[in-house]
Amino acid sequence: MRDKELELWRLIVFGAIGLVGFIGLWELVVRLGFIDPFFLPAPSQVVQRMQQLAVGPDAVLWRDIRVSAIRVLTGFFLSILVGVPCGLIMGVNPVIRAALNPIISIIRPLPALSWIPLSMLWLGIDEQQKYAIVFMGCFASVLVYTTDATMGVDPTLTLAARNLGATRMQVLRYVVLPGALPNILSGLKVVLAIAWTCVISAEMVGANSGLGFRIWTAKEWSDTGQVLVGMLSISLTVLLLDILFRGVERLLVPWRKGGSAA
Amino acid sequence: MSDVMIRAENVSMTFRTRTGELGAVEDFSLQVDRGEVVCIVGASGCGKSTLLNMVAGFLRPTAGRILLEGKEITAVEPRCGMIFQNYALFPWMTVRGNVAFGPRLRGLSKKECNRKAQHWIERVGLQGFEQAYPGELSGGMQQRVALCRALANEPEVLLCDEPFAALDAMTRQIMQQELLRIVQDSAKTVLFITHSIDEALILSDRLVVMSARPGRVKAVYNNDLPRPRKLDVQLTDRFLKLKRQVWDLVQEEVMGAMVLPVNTT
Ligand SMILES: Nc1ncnc2c1ncn2[C@@H]1O[C@H](COP(=O)(O)OP(=O)(O)OP(=O)(O)O)[C@@H](O)[C@H]1O
Ligand SMILES: [Mg+2]
Repeated sequence: MRDKELELWRLIVFGAIGLVGFIGLWELVVRLGFIDPFFLPAPSQVVQRMQQLAVGPDAVLWRDIRVSAIRVLTGFFLSILVGVPCGLIMGVNPVIRAALNPIISIIRPLPALSWIPLSMLWLGIDEQQKYAIVFMGCFASVLVYTTDATMGVDPTLTLAARNLGATRMQVLRYVVLPGALPNILSGLKVVLAIAWTCVISAEMVGANSGLGFRIWTAKEWSDTGQVLVGMLSISLTVLLLDILFRGVERLLVPWRKGGSAA
Repeated sequence: MSDVMIRAENVSMTFRTRTGELGAVEDFSLQVDRGEVVCIVGASGCGKSTLLNMVAGFLRPTAGRILLEGKEITAVEPRCGMIFQNYALFPWMTVRGNVAFGPRLRGLSKKECNRKAQHWIERVGLQGFEQAYPGELSGGMQQRVALCRALANEPEVLLCDEPFAALDAMTRQIMQQELLRIVQDSAKTVLFITHSIDEALILSDRLVVMSARPGRVKAVYNNDLPRPRKLDVQLTDRFLKLKRQVWDLVQEEVMGAMVLPVNTT
């Protein structure tokens, strides 16, 4: 994952220079009056707004982050809970695969947004509707990634296990699942990002809490500062979750130094 | 002790491919006694792996049958432990995990599994690497783990599909020595496929030369080199004489199999 051509400290230094330069330039452009802060506030103003939203009596930022993250993770885990076992079975059983593939091909291209009308009709705008949106946005992808990962497991390993006396269930448990795990995890990393898109969209359309809701209301009040705070919070939360995810990956796939190739 | 372990009766295997039917093995008959080491040599593509896969129960013959201790093999047969050319170790298990896998499947206690695994790990000189993953080992070490894994499962028959082909000459010799020792101590029945006549002569009691595809038995040699053998058996006159005999025949078969196209690239 890390760039091979540069050492770590250089990477950090150059990265910092790029970031500081970008922020400085932005600040400068706004301060010098090239851009109206009403349309794009300076970074210093964004930070100020963030402070207001993060600390103090009516701090809503943490609650929004928490609410959105819980929705994302709930829907995400639900889709894993259903999608991974189904994907494993589809991966090892060509008959089931053939039967389910057309259905999945129809569901998978649907953007999460397109599920919003139906889900609102069925479930209103409470939490379950958010979970459902994330689930519908993620499930088919989890399924497809898991199926592909399962089919990518070296068939000689399955033969080797059968030769050592493994039953079909034992092959699934001890060979197919661990063999597919690295690629399943790489897939799930992509799906986690999809889950965020789902939640933010759902919150913008119908919700009274969460980061998407916060950004949308800020827009109604023309509070560009708050819009940017919301967007920044999404970035940082996704980044944090991604780091956590890599940790989990290293824990679950110890035989691959540095995690899976993604 | 001429009690029959494996008996192949007029076995044929025809694959259905996109371009039509392809006979890989045809009318192959062979009998292997308990405790006997039989090496099979033959040109590339003559159906050796196919034959072994049928004995392991991975493939069903399209004609004829293969008996193990008098009973037809109809499913994957754990009594015939396979050693694959590409090792086929489980990358997510440690050396110990790989070796203990067979016993674990049979529901033995963790302690018992580890004891069995440790026995074989030490037997092939891999102590100190119990916690290593296969990806951290050299090719020779990986093949030793594969050997251990098969042996720890206590199979009646050891099936080896060119297990040492990917190893360098030195490591290969060490592995041959190792296998000789283990086979001579345990009196296991072994069916061993190789491209190397030397390897076949070092290891075998009997040597089967297969014809070009579709594979049949072309010739069988009784290898009467004295046992117990060491690697230096290769330097004896008797060895060289046998080698010459087999060499001439194989040469003929290989040349017959490979009508080389004119190289146009
Ligand atoms: N699953 C399969 N489907 C179709 N054809 C196959 C299949 N397996 C093997 N064959 C064909 O059968 C023939 C014999 O293959 P096999 O692998 O048994 O040869 P081999 O003697 O082991 O060769 P090598 O020494 O190169 O390993 C080959 O022509 C091969 O293309
Ligand atoms: Mg072969």
